[in-house]
Amino acid sequence: MAWRAVVRSSVGTRHQKQQQPCQDYGKYCILNHQDVVVGAVADGAGSAKHADVGAKLAVETVITIFREIVRSPQPKEPLSRPLNGKEARKLFSKIVAEVISTLEEKAVQENYTIADLACTLLVFVATPDWLAAMQIGDGFMVVGLPGKEHQLLFQPDKGEFVNQTTFVTSAQALDEMQVNVVSGSQKFICASTDGLERVAIRMSDWTPFPPFFKPLEEYLWETPEPEQDDQYIQNFLASERLNARTDDDKTLLLCLYAPT
Amino acid sequence: MPVGLPEFAENPENRCPVILLLDTSASMAGQPIQELNRGIGIFKEDLLKDTQASLSAEVSIVTFGPVKLLQDFVTVDYFTPSPLIADGVTPMGQAIEYALDLLETRKATYKENGIQYYRPWVFLITDGAPTDSWQRAAQRVREGESNGKFSFFAVAVEGADMNTLQQIAPPERPPVTLKGLDFSSLFVWLSTSMKRVSSGKIGEAVPLPPVGWGQINT
Repeated sequence: MAWRAVVRSSVGTRHQKQQQPCQDYGKYCILNHQDVVVGAVADGAGSAKHADVGAKLAVETVITIFREIVRSPQPKEPLSRPLNGKEARKLFSKIVAEVISTLEEKAVQENYTIADLACTLLVFVATPDWLAAMQIGDGFMVVGLPGKEHQLLFQPDKGEFVNQTTFVTSAQALDEMQVNVVSGSQKFICASTDGLERVAIRMSDWTPFPPFFKPLEEYLWETPEPEQDDQYIQNFLASERLNARTDDDKTLLLCLYAPT
Repeated sequence: MPVGLPEFAENPENRCPVILLLDTSASMAGQPIQELNRGIGIFKEDLLKDTQASLSAEVSIVTFGPVKLLQDFVTVDYFTPSPLIADGVTPMGQAIEYALDLLETRKATYKENGIQYYRPWVFLITDGAPTDSWQRAAQRVREGESNGKFSFFAVAVEGADMNTLQQIAPPERPPVTLKGLDFSSLFVWLSTSMKRVSSGKIGEAVPLPPVGWGQINT
């Protein structure tokens, strides 16, 4: 058994019209002999001048930190033991602090303000037996456990109004950070930015919409090499049917623990 | 390959509520009320041209005096207010409080139904001076505005008591004097602003179009 994963972002029609770049970014890495998968997605704030730079830098920083954790000699077998809620919060707080200081350095270097790099951030680390995740701002993460309904890990963090959220660069980012630890053998993970929220989540009670997630999960089951064999995801993200429903940037990060 | 592409959850449209709070006191009789009626017609037509705005914007009209709900919140395709008739005094304080209560009720309805919404707009148009006590209304306007509960716009038509209006309108958004009776330009501006707000995105401060129809009084 091993993790297989794929991530794709696609620019929204609104940004296309305004000739703006895609301000979403997502990345994952598979560590520890295929047993650990780490993923991160970020959505650059529409109001931020260099949102695309901020989102990419935030995600790359997270992935680098996890690679370093695994490489470091201490503890002997990093991430081999499930984190409890408190440990997970500590780990993610440290990661967010590093993300913020990396963004600050970038801002100084390029003569930007930190707000020019504002973005949301969703991160997870998963083994076959447990998953720890965090979220700052909106977007969503859904996990599938065998024999159970798909589960939404966090309610997107929204203010009273639909166009408000928290960013990693906000003063209260760490206070607003949501953390969740799930034990049990989750098989399927989907992390996404808010561009897909309205089509994937039923917002009246914040439940994942199964007919949205099941085909994505099936696709991963049937696709041993999703990074090479990504036509299905590309077709979906580019489909007119989808872009009639959302004009925002969209990101799909999908993982499945499957037989090799 | 999977049977098909992912199917979509059906969610209600995000809503963008706006209350037109209109002075229909006797002094508005004649050309002002005619132009205002025409302006509202233009507002509707212009909003209908934009698919997203016509799905999202919900408009209601409160007139004074007496204070009356002329049109409860509806999306523009259902927006068919009866023509305004100028008559009566100017209970502006009561009208503002009525409008703010109406807004709270609407927000509660949204919440009960899992509908997400943008920051509401209250749009006051007057040519007079309040004939009732307006201090409490002014306080609610200022508190609501500074807490980000709604955006309050005050538009003065010639003859309005600017001194009082400046005390009612939030300091961050001072009243605007309409140039002559150019309600058409005002309502095209309002419609354009609604289109921008209803296509607005997370965290985006929506830049409003320039106020060509009036003079901002700071």
